[in-house]
Amino acid sequence: MSFDVRTVTGEWDYSALASNVQLGRGCWIERPQSFERFRSIRTPGAVLGDGVAVYGWTVFNVEAGGVVTVGPRSILVGAVFMCQERIAVGSDVIISYNVTIADSDFHPRDPVLRRLDAEASAPAGDPAARPPIEAQPVHIEDGAWIGIGAIILKGVRVGAAARVGAGAVVTRDVPAGATVEGNPARLVNR
Amino acid sequence: MTRLAHDWFPGELPAGTSLGERSWLYSAYALHHCQGHVQIGGDCGVYSGTHFELGPRGRVEIGAYCTIVGAVIATNGIVTIGDHAFIAHEVVIADSPFALPPGAAASGSAARPQPRAGPAGIRIGSGAWIGARALILDGADIGRDAVIGAGAVISGAVPPGTTATGNPARVVAR
Repeated sequence: MSFDVRTVTGEWDYSALASNVQLGRGCWIERPQSFERFRSIRTPGAVLGDGVAVYGWTVFNVEAGGVVTVGPRSILVGAVFMCQERIAVGSDVIISYNVTIADSDFHPRDPVLRRLDAEASAPAGDPAARPPIEAQPVHIEDGAWIGIGAIILKGVRVGAAARVGAGAVVTRDVPAGATVEGNPARLVNR
Repeated sequence: MTRLAHDWFPGELPAGTSLGERSWLYSAYALHHCQGHVQIGGDCGVYSGTHFELGPRGRVEIGAYCTIVGAVIATNGIVTIGDHAFIAHEVVIADSPFALPPGAAASGSAARPQPRAGPAGIRIGSGAWIGARALILDGADIGRDAVIGAGAVISGAVPPGTTATGNPARVVAR
């Protein structure tokens, strides 16, 4: 099979995406591989607003019950979404390279439950036996910028026009207009 | 030379790219967003995961005997890498902490991330070693033989022969 260069330029046929992926006008998705691990059965399971740009490093890892929404004109360069329930990105958001956004821990904090999870997660294990994990939705509000390599963890709300610095690991809400940096992320005065 | 013989990607190397003798570049795909100039010295290995995301004024110059495992270089300025450097996987070298690929649209010029202007751009000295997932930002000046720890965030000077780690980075060994 010859290589189809359109699968790396965004010029492939977007109707090949799952029917529960809703695209606004003028969306651009560089690579279909960004949706390779999109397993949502929700309606819709993903919504990309008008003019959203999705570069090839972006990955929508979405579980069966998950929904990811992205507002108009947002630019996703390397946004790796790990979505169990809900991740909402507003309009005019910039997410740079190598960013991870997760709405869940995906595995139990409790070591006894985590061992059960390890066995249920094995190739021959029973996925229905996995201990239930509580998700906490993540919101990234309008005009926020997420810097290179940042990690946004469960339950976080990044306020409108906030700035998450490169490499920051965000575990708490970021107020609108604020800047956070570091691991763990802390407010800085700018 | 405009096409790499081993390449799976049908594109050619853009004009302004040069690859030194006995050097290996995994694919022209590394330059598929590139609008600037990339000069790679001799005896270098540039491997999968490396991308040159250069704006029209972007220039990258890489010396001899460099091993670049998977670096994204996103700049509309100058990045200079000396000889005998090692750059590990998922390193990003960028002129802005909010770097975008060249040509990415933005909602308005006021909202476009702008790099702080640094006349020297980004310099990585001869023999430097950059650890996995380190971030090398505008203003970084990494001295000869310096070592940058995994995940470090560097935006200033690292003296020659020292080791810097952390976010924000600190010199931890001399």
